[in-house]
Amino acid sequence: MNPPAAIHPPTAIQLTDVRKSFGRTEIIRGVSLEIRKGERHAIIGPNGGGKSTLFNLISGKFPVSHGTIKLNGEDVTNARPFEINRRGLSRSFQVTNIFPRLNVYENVRCSVLWSLGYKYSFWNDLNRLGDVKERTEEVLEQIGLTARRHIPAAVLSYAEQRALEIGITIAGGADVILFDEPTAGMSRGETEHAVNLIRTLSKDKTLVIVEHDMGVVFDLADRISVLVYGEILTTGAPEEVRANKAVQEAYLGVDA
Amino acid sequence: MTDRAAGSVRNIAWASYLRSYGLWVLAAVAIFALPHVFDSRANQSMFGQMGIFVVFALSYNMLLGQSGMLSFGHAVYFGFAGFISVHVMRIIESGFAFPVVLLPLFGAAAGLALGIIFGSFSTRRAGTVFAMISLGIAELVGALAFFIGFFGGEEGISGDRMSGPSLPGLSLGPQIQVYYVIAAWTLVAALLMYAITRTPLGRMANAVRDNPERAEFIGYNTQRVRFRMFALSGMFAGVAGALFAIQFEFLQFNNIGVAASGSVLLMTFIGGVGFFMGPILGAILVTFLELELVNVTQAWLLYFGLFFVLMVMFVPAGLAGLIMRHQPIWRAGILHKLAPAYGLALVPSLIFAVGAIGLIEIIYFTSTRAGLNTVMSVYTITFDAVKPLPWIIAGVVAAGGFVLCRLTFPTVRKVWDEVFLEAMAKLNR
Repeated sequence: MNPPAAIHPPTAIQLTDVRKSFGRTEIIRGVSLEIRKGERHAIIGPNGGGKSTLFNLISGKFPVSHGTIKLNGEDVTNARPFEINRRGLSRSFQVTNIFPRLNVYENVRCSVLWSLGYKYSFWNDLNRLGDVKERTEEVLEQIGLTARRHIPAAVLSYAEQRALEIGITIAGGADVILFDEPTAGMSRGETEHAVNLIRTLSKDKTLVIVEHDMGVVFDLADRISVLVYGEILTTGAPEEVRANKAVQEAYLGVDA
Repeated sequence: MTDRAAGSVRNIAWASYLRSYGLWVLAAVAIFALPHVFDSRANQSMFGQMGIFVVFALSYNMLLGQSGMLSFGHAVYFGFAGFISVHVMRIIESGFAFPVVLLPLFGAAAGLALGIIFGSFSTRRAGTVFAMISLGIAELVGALAFFIGFFGGEEGISGDRMSGPSLPGLSLGPQIQVYYVIAAWTLVAALLMYAITRTPLGRMANAVRDNPERAEFIGYNTQRVRFRMFALSGMFAGVAGALFAIQFEFLQFNNIGVAASGSVLLMTFIGGVGFFMGPILGAILVTFLELELVNVTQAWLLYFGLFFVLMVMFVPAGLAGLIMRHQPIWRAGILHKLAPAYGLALVPSLIFAVGAIGLIEIIYFTSTRAGLNTVMSVYTITFDAVKPLPWIIAGVVAAGGFVLCRLTFPTVRKVWDEVFLEAMAKLNR
């Protein structure tokens, strides 16, 4: 009866009955979810449904109130963000979260350092680290900010800051990447550009994305989970989710 | 890549190195020549003191400017290392064969050790929590210094830098020798601190300062970053403390407490926390003012306070920030276009200064004069300080200058902005 193991790739993220309360309000109400290695998984749902909170729990920003979170099979429940990051998970933020006074190059370079093993070194001259330079320039090229490398991040345009946000997120080479509304506030052209960027950069990686733009979601995702009032309504392939009655009522509305 | 391209790449690498460290060579030459140009003992002593506070202020800026930690207690590490150094000096006096010239090694170890101890719990958070803990530690240590034997109580403790083995030709008797020892240590310490700004830890300290949350999501434990910077900063403060011990051969409770900590904050802030050279400029200027203003006016602390308030209000980026803002204009070759505007700003500023100085002197004189003497002189004008006329004149000049400043400064600002935009346009072309 059981399908052979080969068609069930190993799990990247496993949530088991995860709950989160703020005071008396339970925002995440028992989420169990399995995200497979190498898939592109979108989480959708109405505003206030708990999507960002779920990201904050997985990435270690908030401790969970109940339940367990596993990353690549290891228990990371309530681990600190840097510990989770070192185990191969990286995330972006819905509100641009960069190092405003550092220039673009330094922003990316900082994100490269830990993964290349330089840790807290105060004896290596940054400018002489060939591997850091190479990786930083590669990322700058990928996010299209090579020409803007000397500009302080604070004075970049909004779309450029969003690109930098993506660059910081992927620079460390994490194999599980969480994107929290990467196209929020972008024009149609910018969105298309960002989606292509995400598609390229997340190749051979596990991608979890929170997104409001349904075009983006159905275009990008292998599977979709619908999160409504802190609970997963359903998880499935895009066409299944689109056809799901409960989802249509709860979220997609009449035009679905 | 062709040979020529390779060569030019090498040249660029050289040029960038020269740009980074060329200034250091210049500074070294100036440091060497200075005490020969101004060769009085008092000047040599002043230059030594400048060196000590350059190291101290630079170490302070590793916290404030580079890592975003506002400390009200940095003199604890400076002072503790200073006391240790005096004690070592006394041990040397009683037979321990160690050259006094190398005392900063003890200072560094003492500062580092104390930095590790206090840093281990105070760096968990930046911001207000850190500032308050640093203040608490400074109050605590300052109070302890008053009645614990190690610190010599109210009398302080003293040593003799001329004891122990000395390197040939370096008895540390003449002030000039002390100066060169301090200068050499200053140069080494400053170079090391500069090098640290260009390491992974140094850069991550900036990142943690700017956005601690994000730093945690790229693999860094922000407390560890702050802690390491804090410990290193304590170590360099310790070097400065040991140099202080060598120069003055004496330390007292007031070298370790809140007041001394405030003084280094002042220097660093006035110099500018945003640039490496900021604290250097600040330490040199403030030391100069502290030593020279005393000779000019008794009310020097008042002026000093006024200067600090004006700097914080109008030049929050400090001297270095002020200078660096002119850099693009200078590079575009249009610095001269600022001259008329600065001339326009200078006149009312001077008028205000003349009035304000007169007023401060009269206030200070009338509130502190001993006996019944009411006759004083300001700007070589002698008058009776209790009559209203001098007050009125000084007040009117000061107020007039202030109003003129308010009237002219917007124009100056407008010209400045125009010149700046012109410079940026030129450079971007």
